[in-house]
Amino acid sequence: MWVVRPAQPDDAAAIQKLAAAQGARVSTLPRADEKLSEKIAWSCRSFAGDSEQQGRERFLFVLEDTSSGRICGTAGIDAHAGNGQPFYNYRQDALIHASHELGISRPVEVLYPSHALTGCTLLCSFMIESALRDTDAFELLSRARLLFIARHRALFSDDMAVEIQGVQTESGAVPFWDSLGRHFFNMDFDAADEYSSRLSKTFIAELMPPNPIYVTLLTEPAQEAIGVAHPLAQKTQALLEREGFRTGDYIDIFDGGPALQARTDTLKTVVTSLPMVLRPGEEEAEAGALCLLSVNDHDRFRCVLTPLTESLDGSAIIPVAFETLLGTQPGEEVQVAPL
Amino acid sequence: MLVIRPLQENDLDDLHAMAAAAGKGLTSLPANRELLARKIERARDTFLQRSAPEAGLYMFALEDTELGRCVGISGIEARVGLEEVFWNYRLSTTVNASRELGVHVRTPTLHLTNDMTDTTEICSLLLAESHRKGGNGLLLSRCRFMYLDDFRKHFSDKVFAEMRGVSDKDGHSPLWEALGRRFFDMEFSKADYLSGVGNKSFIAELMPKFPIYLPLLPDSARAVVGRVHENTEPALRMLQAEGFNFNGLVDIFDGGPLVEAFVHNIRTVRESLNRHVMISQKPVDLDRPAEERVMVSNRSFRNFRVTTLPIDCIKPDTVSMPQAMADALQVESGDLVRLAPLKDSGRSPIQTPTHTNYQRTATR
Repeated sequence: MWVVRPAQPDDAAAIQKLAAAQGARVSTLPRADEKLSEKIAWSCRSFAGDSEQQGRERFLFVLEDTSSGRICGTAGIDAHAGNGQPFYNYRQDALIHASHELGISRPVEVLYPSHALTGCTLLCSFMIESALRDTDAFELLSRARLLFIARHRALFSDDMAVEIQGVQTESGAVPFWDSLGRHFFNMDFDAADEYSSRLSKTFIAELMPPNPIYVTLLTEPAQEAIGVAHPLAQKTQALLEREGFRTGDYIDIFDGGPALQARTDTLKTVVTSLPMVLRPGEEEAEAGALCLLSVNDHDRFRCVLTPLTESLDGSAIIPVAFETLLGTQPGEEVQVAPL
Repeated sequence: MLVIRPLQENDLDDLHAMAAAAGKGLTSLPANRELLARKIERARDTFLQRSAPEAGLYMFALEDTELGRCVGISGIEARVGLEEVFWNYRLSTTVNASRELGVHVRTPTLHLTNDMTDTTEICSLLLAESHRKGGNGLLLSRCRFMYLDDFRKHFSDKVFAEMRGVSDKDGHSPLWEALGRRFFDMEFSKADYLSGVGNKSFIAELMPKFPIYLPLLPDSARAVVGRVHENTEPALRMLQAEGFNFNGLVDIFDGGPLVEAFVHNIRTVRESLNRHVMISQKPVDLDRPAEERVMVSNRSFRNFRVTTLPIDCIKPDTVSMPQAMADALQVESGDLVRLAPLKDSGRSPIQTPTHTNYQRTATR
């Protein structure tokens, strides 16, 4: 059975092992031990509702295989993108360059440095064991966060964003970075990416070119990479699009990957999930439809995929095994969303 | 004899032939008869002071008196950018640095400017292939500095020249290919022509307004920013010898540099002096190397004339010349003329010991 729960300090080693095995990069997960431990500690305080963190909460969830205790994935939420600092993107825009006299009129694409997504609630730090990419666990891990948001709506912004990893060649080259960022940051993509996960964003303010960039001056591979997801991230993008996320005008400043946007209150999971009361478990409940079900608030939050049947009085019936796993009592309120 | 004089209407055929032979790259003089005729007309109005001083276009012709035709021209635009908009890129530096990361990156950046607005430009230098010898190019170019100094109030204190940038033998400019073409959607020659015929509004309409970070351009384009066409190198050296320096501005199409100088600092101006004409019956051998000749101007606003004579014609307070030269300069015995070295490696009139006690041209 799979359960999504808040990351604990003990999970650090397992998370690192998982990250090392990933083909795709997760820029919001630090690679260095101590930074990862700090991030988990910060997350624990966020789950516990530490009032000092108000506005800067960052939640990190893990996907655990309960049969083996193995950590198979992570997913995160930053309550407010930038976490109190500017959050950088390029905004794609077009200027019309027209000459009446010469009969010319053409759009000229421009990338504007932007902080417009600062403060949005940001989904981040998503990774999953590659063997699980095509299973329901993938959806469980990604959407568990949204159930958490539905459950703790006041902690989060009205607008959501998620950055999808951009194009990277098999040799590791990032065309968008090589054509643009490299000239100004004077470092490899990996170094910049690492700094951005680890350091304050001050270095971005210091090194990023302050003026808009004409797309036509970038190399062809860089132009083609604008707003395009890495092949390994396309499934994530598709799932988020089913949730109601849309590609907008914003892209990542490093790899040009798309930033998806949505209104929090229109997300499918937020709209369709509903609180239900648990009835005593029954063995035959195995027959019910698979649902996402979350129990408890804050640091005791758990989310599972379970067959669920609805009783005549509108309460939820789930298999006993799940009840045991979740440690729930009959009569307890849970949050349920269809798969 | 080769004499500088104001450009006239009957020079049109000669001028058109020269412009056609020069081909692309001479933005201010496209081979277009109608346009050239308008330029000549503008120049005439300027010399006759029929136009506002700031609208002045001073065009000089080099006449070969034996052939009776114009073999070269040069010009002064009293003020640029007053009617149309005068565009340049300023080549400047953007620094991005992070102390935390120990990164310090200098990025050459092109900023679109109109910085030369209201400044005097020396322009349109063109010399027939047959006459590219014996200091004729120097005469055509440098005669203008005497004019600028004698009539300072008509010009700005600072003057500049746009130098032709790098292009290949087919007229393709690497900077244009990497930058202009992407925004203008036309050939360099067409853009250059449109700009030359004074149709500059399309530049404002189509040119990118945000700064251009040079590292985003290919090496071939970056390499030519601020560089001159190889055919223009002698002209650049000549201006540098006069005290002109690159002012950080480049042409928006081909990246050719702008060089500028303050009039009072120009070498020809500093090293010139005035003498009274003395008509001499003695024959003068005018066929001397450029080093041994000096320019002599009649200091006339309306009917500016300049030719060259041997340096040894200069006497303590006079300059002697044959009657034919005085006629060509339209001066008489006793008139004050201005003298200046023709060649920078040549002897300067004021460096000859016999003249050290005499007054130099007063700086106005």
